[in-house]
Amino acid sequence: MRLIEFDNKNANQIYLDYIERVKRTTKALSDKDREDILMELNSYIYEYIQENKENGEMSNLLAIIKRIGAPEEILPPVIANKKMDQATHTFNPMHVIKALSLNISNGLSYVAFSILYLLLFCFSFLAIAKIFFPGNIGVFKGENRFYIGLFSDSTIEGTQELLGFWFIPVVLLLSICLYFLITFLMRIRQRFKK
Amino acid sequence: MNEEFLHKWQSQVKKGTLAFILLNLLKDKEMYGYEIIDQISRQVAIDIAEGTLYPLLNRLKTDGLVDSKWVEQQSGIPRKYYTLTLTGKATLDEMSEFWNSLDKSIKKISK
Repeated sequence: MRLIEFDNKNANQIYLDYIERVKRTTKALSDKDREDILMELNSYIYEYIQENKENGEMSNLLAIIKRIGAPEEILPPVIANKKMDQATHTFNPMHVIKALSLNISNGLSYVAFSILYLLLFCFSFLAIAKIFFPGNIGVFKGENRFYIGLFSDSTIEGTQELLGFWFIPVVLLLSICLYFLITFLMRIRQRFKK
Repeated sequence: MNEEFLHKWQSQVKKGTLAFILLNLLKDKEMYGYEIIDQISRQVAIDIAEGTLYPLLNRLKTDGLVDSKWVEQQSGIPRKYYTLTLTGKATLDEMSEFWNSLDKSIKKISK
């Protein structure tokens, strides 16, 4: 991004500080999205100063910074939007988690997505934990009883474990399916919104 | 007259109609941020701060109502021009219809 040049040293410092705050606030985004936000806010600053030249550099800069507002306050919804877009275009779990955490306040459907995601982590956890607690994790079947997961000895007393160590590949496979399902559902939701 | 109530109500109405005003402006012409603010101030006498417009434009873009493109400028600081998409146009038509019928009803009851 091309920076605006100020004659006044103090104005220049205030401007650079503001740009730095925008950069800090948008850290979670891809370089491209970050640059887009920076360029757009930079353009607001530049155009405002150009259009109101008679007021002087410093007072224009202070005015436009006030008009845009604190990056920490105005950018979160923009960031949440862009992050969601990014998450639906990749299968990177970090993007998905970040997008969900940013959007959780945006509605019930994200809560549902988060629960699905939590389920996914439970599955992955069970697959690993099975190695350490083989007797307590698995698919247990007793008379009129059926359990999947991690249970105490007393709970599974009288039941039979069905999968043995096959539990690990089965659960991993389920996790992968669930993961793709979540991402596709998010993508559909995003498209539906458009 | 309760001035405080009136001011609150006015700012609510302005806030609620901002997207409608914005889409109407973009109907005929592509515009960049400062230009939009300037036009809203001139044509509708509402002063919109950049910090209000920017998130709104962003949301309208996510919702597919507007599209944007960067246009290089001699200054080296490009402008982002916004245009109405086909979805935006169709949505605006429906919004106008709703607005007109609301206007009619309000005129009827406030006679």
